[in-house]
Amino acid sequence: MTDAPAVAPAPAARRGTGEVVLTGAAAASAYGRGTEALASGLLSGQPAFAPVQRFDVGARRVRFAATMPGLPELLTEVTRAAGEACDDAGLSSADRARTPLFLAIHGDPAIARAPGADRPGHGPGAFTAAVAGRSGLAGQDIRCYTSACVAASTAIGDAAAVIARGHADRVVVAGGYLVECDQFALFDAGRVLADDGQVRPFSAGRRGLLLGDGVGAVVVESLQAARARRAPPLARLAGWGRTGDAYHPVQPHPEGHGMARAVTAALQRAGIAAEDLGYINAHGSGTGQSDPAETNALRLALGDAAASVPVSSTKSLHGQSLEASGVLELIVTLLAARKGMLPVNAGFLGADDRCRLNLVLDEPLAATPEFAMSLNAAFGGANTALVIGLP
Amino acid sequence: MTPASVASPSLAALHAAAAAAGLAVCASASWPETDADGEVPALAGFIESSFSPLLAEVAARALRSRAPPQGAGNVTAIVMVTALGDVTSAVRVAAAVDAGTRVPPLQFFQSVPNAVAGYLAVRWHLTGPVVCVSGIHAGLDVAALLIEDADADDALVVCVDLAVTNGDRDRAAAILVTGPASRERHRTA
Repeated sequence: MTDAPAVAPAPAARRGTGEVVLTGAAAASAYGRGTEALASGLLSGQPAFAPVQRFDVGARRVRFAATMPGLPELLTEVTRAAGEACDDAGLSSADRARTPLFLAIHGDPAIARAPGADRPGHGPGAFTAAVAGRSGLAGQDIRCYTSACVAASTAIGDAAAVIARGHADRVVVAGGYLVECDQFALFDAGRVLADDGQVRPFSAGRRGLLLGDGVGAVVVESLQAARARRAPPLARLAGWGRTGDAYHPVQPHPEGHGMARAVTAALQRAGIAAEDLGYINAHGSGTGQSDPAETNALRLALGDAAASVPVSSTKSLHGQSLEASGVLELIVTLLAARKGMLPVNAGFLGADDRCRLNLVLDEPLAATPEFAMSLNAAFGGANTALVIGLP
Repeated sequence: MTPASVASPSLAALHAAAAAAGLAVCASASWPETDADGEVPALAGFIESSFSPLLAEVAARALRSRAPPQGAGNVTAIVMVTALGDVTSAVRVAAAVDAGTRVPPLQFFQSVPNAVAGYLAVRWHLTGPVVCVSGIHAGLDVAALLIEDADADDALVVCVDLAVTNGDRDRAAAILVTGPASRERHRTA
């Protein structure tokens, strides 16, 4: 007999009555530009980490990251992804001009080196307006999210919420982070980067995270609006949850209370049980404290199902894309579910008793999940959970 | 002599945006509030920039002035609003990187606004979602949505903008907002 899931105390999550779907997606990562390049890279099981060539890392403790070749530029890459997602969704120019953009970025990379008087022109709002303008998206109701590693997933949850309530028919959510010298130096100074050059989520011997280029965009739309223009949904955006731990400025709650509430809220909004989940793309940062906390959160929210649902953290393959993680990893989850191949949790050396999950190891797992979940967590105790369902 | 009060454009904008979003303001505060507000009190663990201390101070002022929350299970979201973010820290880190000098490890922890939000969450037991967006109207729309969807009972919305030119002052404002929300919204698509 299966015990009922130990659902953490949570407000009764409500949502609007509208169905929300994803109708377009685009991505770029160290595996290359385009969702097919991402899918191929993920299914290769080969991590994309290599010595950084993009800037001087001679003074750094760790010298690895997952980067695209050359010197890609954030505004160009995010604009390209937003446009490709709109193309994928079959949006006309008129559709785009009525669609707002929610963008997740750390900020305009130029602001820190701009003259003082010029800095107001390099704020995240100005950057978002530039992406919207270049993409032909609406100039009104744009938002920029800068909430660290849950920025993009929060934006996606918010987009779903406004659409479910009928406040909007469609939102493009994009995010981007390209590995650069300042964040690299900060993460190196914080001693959170893996000095063995591999990210090993939930594994014994894990030594931290590594940064990775990540750019993604999705078109979030009401089912009604998609049907009206005969656009086939890629997936339903069935559930979402955002919560805070109120435990520590930069550490997760060790028992995973906040993340468990996010998972529970997402399942409630999706109207599904824990046993209905067929795949979890974990936050899985590969750090000492975060992975056991996430494991505890899954046990708390999913009960016995936490031991059986396949889990992988693809940060072990494409790296940590900071503010863009939520959109890149939702697209990874979408690709896994649609292709019926769950990517591996790479870098695994051996079991850690504090991280006992049904990890996808060694090779991709053939499976066709009806529902899949993407999890993210960030400094400030912020947690998000997004659930997709295949149409 | 009583310090003269200082009009806060950020606070006025927050109130206006809250009204537009159909939210009731339960408490509010600003920095500077009077001419006596000179240097913002330091905040342990945060260095070289007034961004996080200012955010913590103005939030504390607002939260001290609110009525006790209804029930122990009250869930308060934290919504941070900033036009440029902690540009002081960003400039310092960039200068250290360009000069090849050491980046202080504490700068890592304050490199995103979430860290001080986490401090606030612990200090004031604010157990709702943590969000940072770039505009006041976006911030109030996020707050309204979180309340509408029962992800929070109320929301602390804090706006911080550091001085970017000589002669300007750092400014911050905070409001605590709650529903009910019967508001006019734009249909955006």
